[in-house]
Amino acid sequence: MLLIPCPWCGPRDEVEFRYGGEAHIVRPPDPAALDDAAWADYLHMRANPKGALAERWVHRAGCRRWFNLLRDTASHRILAVYRIGDSPPAARPQ
Amino acid sequence: MIQPYRLASGGRIDRSRVLPFQFGDGEYEGHPGDTLASALLANGVRLVGRSFKYHRPRGFFAAGPEEPSALVQLEAAAFAEPNRLAPDIPLYNGLRASRQHAWPSLNFDLGAFADRAAPFLPAGFYYKTFIRPAAAWRWLWEPALRHMAGLGRAPDEPDPSRYDHAHAHCEVLVVGGGPAGLAAALAAGQSGARVILADGDVEFGGTLLRRYERIGDQDGAAWAVSMVAELAALPEVRLLPNTTVLGGYDGNYAVAAERIGDLIGPNAPPELPRHRLWHIRARRIVVATGTIERPLVFTDNDRPGIMLAGAAETYLNRYGVAAGRRAVLFTNNDDAYGVALALADAGVAVAAIVDLRAEPGEAASAAVEGISLYPAHAVVATAGRHSLRRIWVRSLAGGARRPIDCDLLAVSGGWNPAIHLFAQAQGPLRYDHGIAAFVPAAAGDGIECAGSANGAFSLAECLVEGAATGASAAISCGFAAGTWEPPSVEPQGPEAPVAPVWLVPGA
Repeated sequence: MLLIPCPWCGPRDEVEFRYGGEAHIVRPPDPAALDDAAWADYLHMRANPKGALAERWVHRAGCRRWFNLLRDTASHRILAVYRIGDSPPAARPQ
Repeated sequence: MIQPYRLASGGRIDRSRVLPFQFGDGEYEGHPGDTLASALLANGVRLVGRSFKYHRPRGFFAAGPEEPSALVQLEAAAFAEPNRLAPDIPLYNGLRASRQHAWPSLNFDLGAFADRAAPFLPAGFYYKTFIRPAAAWRWLWEPALRHMAGLGRAPDEPDPSRYDHAHAHCEVLVVGGGPAGLAAALAAGQSGARVILADGDVEFGGTLLRRYERIGDQDGAAWAVSMVAELAALPEVRLLPNTTVLGGYDGNYAVAAERIGDLIGPNAPPELPRHRLWHIRARRIVVATGTIERPLVFTDNDRPGIMLAGAAETYLNRYGVAAGRRAVLFTNNDDAYGVALALADAGVAVAAIVDLRAEPGEAASAAVEGISLYPAHAVVATAGRHSLRRIWVRSLAGGARRPIDCDLLAVSGGWNPAIHLFAQAQGPLRYDHGIAAFVPAAAGDGIECAGSANGAFSLAECLVEGAATGASAAISCGFAAGTWEPPSVEPQGPEAPVAPVWLVPGA
């Protein structure tokens, strides 16, 4: 079970959290202007990398706040935790 | 009642108390400290089961949870448990176990015809043969096949036991309570860190329980007892005997199963849980799980009476049971020579040592002077239907087979570090040609191996490495190192290397 360092509460068990999918996916400002392919791309297409992935988590059984987390999908190691709205740490390998 | 194979003295059992138990129709006696396997062996019971497909006779091959063949049905009704490993069942008062997978009896098993008829039974034979005629399937074949198939019986009543679970947090979790694990736990515990020491066995000590070693000015087993007393005196150390760590997960989350009521049997007080599942969040895990002996692979190596050399040593030194009257050692390493010596000292006739290597270690072969030694030989055949009676050896260069009468064949194919937990927790491995086994290549993420689980087999190395690993784990959690130094141990003499043999030639 992951030990997730909530930026507000400190390290807590994974069962206290809910996963919110990949982070930094910006909703198009005018969805009506998009064609179907672009809308599908926004809705469904995700990077799914082997390695560092920025994702959103919510501390559901704790402070109930959302935050971003950088996790290595191969080793499950948590590389960084940062606030919603901040950009991912520079260490992020692309 | 007489236990014909029990030695008059020695071992870690309490001969002043007697525990009666049943196996099948027989009533036997053992002592506190025994396992079901050691108590049965002490009573001369060597045939305990039948193999799954060919119903070949099965005896005890190991003396711990690595046992592959001595599966028994434990207790009955609501407490029935199939497929329990006889060497992994601590004996309790009134234990009832029985054979499984043999009918009508263990000695006379009708299913054993499958072994004789095996050459005439091609793979895929079974289902095409039995589907016609349709009525025969319903009334003859299916009942007969269901009777023959499967191992053991499930309980037929609801389980009345309670099962507990507990959460624990610690800085250092030490898995395995042998010399390396005890040293690691004390080195870490003295720093003030919270330490949990878990071992699957009923007693801490590991190898020290089966082999006489000197540690400092103490006997090895006595040293283990004094270490446990020292650890128990530390307020932040939790000792968990009877607890098997079964998995290591993300963030050093370990799960361990503790046996509690199981040690007392169905008559355990109802307020006691039968098992307790521990969820342990550790900052560092030290894996000191030791080694598991490898068997040697040769024709008919599954007869009752053939067992691992380390198992024969365990039955002898830990349980005070001679696993046979006349033994032969079959080995590819120097370690088994010590077992031959221990057997001979206990009064077991050691007929021969068969070594696959042309040049056994000098110190080892000098120590067993007087026992006939067959270097560059192999065991090529064995005989004895329900118990080993005779073996045949042949030179690796060829030539005639030579028969040797014996009822115990102790085999040793070298030692594998027990890296299962480390590997399951994504620890990296490499192959070590020196010991012909996989060993940890580097420390994992917050988890590392120490002692013989790390490929360091000698007792001196285990103590030093265990203490260093335990101390560094505590220091990495921000604690100051303790003052404990591992006691001095006489260094081991040089050993000839193990010869990796995966299939015995000429067999």
